[in-house]
Amino acid sequence: MLPPSPLRQLAPTIARRVRNPRTIARLASTPQCFAPVTESPSVRTQRWHSNHNDSRPPSSSSVNPDEISHFNALAATWWDPHGSSRALHLMNPLRHDFIQTCRSSSPTSSFTVLTEDSGDELPSSSPDAPTYSTTANVQKLRYLDIGCGGGIFAESAARLPTTESVLAIDPSPGVLAIARSHAKKDPSLSPKLTYLSSTIESLPTLKPEAVEKKFDVVSCFEVIEHVDHPALFLDHVAKFVKPGGWLVMSTIARTWTSWFTTNFMAEDVLGIVPKGTHDWNKYINEYELRGYFEETEEKRRFWGQPRAMGVVYVPGLGWKEVPGSEKVGNYFLGVQRLASEDA
Amino acid sequence: MEAVARRKAAAYVCLSCTRQFQRHIRRQYHNAAPRPDIYDVVCVGGGPAGLSLLTALRANPVTSHLRVALVEAQDLSKVKSWKLPPSKYSNRCSSLTPTSAFYLDQIGAWEHLDQTRVQPYHEMQVWDGVTDARIEFDWAPGSALVEGTTIAYMNENLNLTSGLLKRLEQLGGVSVFEGAKVENITFGEETEDLDLRQWPVVHISGGKQLTARLLVGADGANSPVRAFAGIDAKGWDYNRHGVVATLEMEGEGWGGEHTKIAYQRFLPTGPVAMLPMPGKYSTLVWSTTPENASILKSLSPKDFVAMVNAAFRLSPVDLAFMHTQGANQDYEYSWRLQHTSFNPRAIPQTVVGVQEGTIASFPLKMRHADTYIGERVALVGDAAHTIHPLAGQGLNQGQGDVQSLAKTIEHAVTHGQDIGSIMSLESYVSERYTANHVLLGVVDKLHKLYSAESGPLVPLRSLGLNAVNALGPLKSFFMKQAAGSGTKLF
Repeated sequence: MLPPSPLRQLAPTIARRVRNPRTIARLASTPQCFAPVTESPSVRTQRWHSNHNDSRPPSSSSVNPDEISHFNALAATWWDPHGSSRALHLMNPLRHDFIQTCRSSSPTSSFTVLTEDSGDELPSSSPDAPTYSTTANVQKLRYLDIGCGGGIFAESAARLPTTESVLAIDPSPGVLAIARSHAKKDPSLSPKLTYLSSTIESLPTLKPEAVEKKFDVVSCFEVIEHVDHPALFLDHVAKFVKPGGWLVMSTIARTWTSWFTTNFMAEDVLGIVPKGTHDWNKYINEYELRGYFEETEEKRRFWGQPRAMGVVYVPGLGWKEVPGSEKVGNYFLGVQRLASEDA
Repeated sequence: MEAVARRKAAAYVCLSCTRQFQRHIRRQYHNAAPRPDIYDVVCVGGGPAGLSLLTALRANPVTSHLRVALVEAQDLSKVKSWKLPPSKYSNRCSSLTPTSAFYLDQIGAWEHLDQTRVQPYHEMQVWDGVTDARIEFDWAPGSALVEGTTIAYMNENLNLTSGLLKRLEQLGGVSVFEGAKVENITFGEETEDLDLRQWPVVHISGGKQLTARLLVGADGANSPVRAFAGIDAKGWDYNRHGVVATLEMEGEGWGGEHTKIAYQRFLPTGPVAMLPMPGKYSTLVWSTTPENASILKSLSPKDFVAMVNAAFRLSPVDLAFMHTQGANQDYEYSWRLQHTSFNPRAIPQTVVGVQEGTIASFPLKMRHADTYIGERVALVGDAAHTIHPLAGQGLNQGQGDVQSLAKTIEHAVTHGQDIGSIMSLESYVSERYTANHVLLGVVDKLHKLYSAESGPLVPLRSLGLNAVNALGPLKSFFMKQAAGSGTKLF
């Protein structure tokens, strides 16, 4: 029997969804929009609901309710290999390739391994400390998948032999029900994979010193373009990345090409992506996203140099890496957390 | 009991799966329901394709953690210990292209074949029995296009399966169910926390049930796995039988020990091929009408040998007449031979004997499955396609399938995909289907083209053959395709 995953302790949290006005605090248009994000989220966003017994600092949600209902409607065909999410299924292997590239680019990606090996980094008071004592667990990675949808990435991450655990969260209950019922179809998943109906904001914040509860890989794939306040969102996400761990994202650049391919062609003409999936105005250009991580001295100390990979969907062939295309359309961005102290 | 089961499981499965098992055991203890015996890959069929696939999976460190099982109706220990004296050869031989041989070497199986029984050949002589138009496939010395001197390797199928079994034994880790018939294939069940309704469950004789993440049908032309997956195979019967035999020749061949030659003559009834084995031995594949096949099988060894010699020398008319005789083909042949002119160096040496018990025949057909994959199902080898033997490509196609499927599984494992899902298996079909289909079509058309005795096609095909023969680069291209070493055209 597996020891109870530290992740599971988060489980009772109920997702709190906040109806944010869609328009404010858009990060998208200029990099400067990233500037005020050091403020407390509660200052900048209106809170409509709060959890009645919540003693934690107030938090908001980055997630737009329209988006939730859109993805709920897509839930039924999520795992159909020829259904509406086919393009996502085809992209999934590239996500792993990208993570692999990121992690192998930096020797400090194995930060956790080194410290856990030496054994002196673990707080002796941690109730979870004994679970790290077996050598079998030492090198395995902890994943947090934000906006996991039907679990395409979360399942695949959990299947990797190098994975210790995957916590996958999504605020759309319909989609998450699909994810859970699909995970039942593979007996190898249940020991490693936990789904939670939650936004990142409603996950209990981890104490800065609780390094071992943080994640080696935090992923948000095709998520930022559906988020109302990307900068706030990323501020929040940062706290969950283990020092030495990686935050990996993928999204779409806001260009004429991407409007033509993802909105006009993919949704309207070819119908390979369900109509209404993308709001072109919410797309984020690579320099804008990169800008968030590089803008201030503080950020540059906290994060390493971002790495990008542009990918292009070729009908009939699937996704191909095309250097330079991150400026034009779909791209991945990965950034390693350097700082051991939370910002 | 539980401890034993756990230890057993631990021998095959990674840590997390072992935990999974333990959890199963615990739960099943309470529910008293049978615990599903879950494998990552269950391969039905222990022929060349199935054994190569398992060997490839076990030999690759990326896939070696997978829990794999083999279900085979035959007693495999007999195959593994298969041995014949150097003067005897099995009648079931195949031509292995250098590509196939290289792959077998990569997965560590080639060295386990008895190399003294493997015969590389370096030339091919192909000619039209009606017009005598000829194409000589030999590697022109000094040609820039030469990449190797071996066109292909002749090898007994049992030497291959026996070698693969030895390699698998060396690798270990395969649950082998031999002498086990597949009695039924059903789907799994849904329990509170597990939904195996899309997982194939193989019921084998003795009552054992194997639940498969990926069920591989390497179970031949009448594949039960294909039937389970509801995949149709289309094609036609050629109304031809392949007559095989192991022949003893007058010598080691015109090229001697080191330059062996394969011969094929297109007769209106079908091609007759003589392929070199080590020493003075050759193997025969004669595709002909079912009637002729049963006549050939009924002949005395002396008359059978005469018919084989006649098949490479006499005119189709003479040959047809000799099939109408009940006996004494030996006499008829020697008489007619005096009145036939041919270049003895351009045809195989004279056959002097046939090994007892090696004359057999099998019906020839062309089949191609509509697809090679279903949810948690993949087909390889003859289960996916059956080809006319005239180009010696059947086994090689199966090896190509295996190489592609093993690569597909490796990619799925490294990218966390479920190796049984359609999404993971798609690349296998897209890589192999068209390639196999083109080859099936080309070989099928060749068979039909040369079945014509007269008519407009006959001079045209001779023209084609002569033209190809005259054009060195084109010929070299064909040879490389045959050897599997050319540019990947298909």
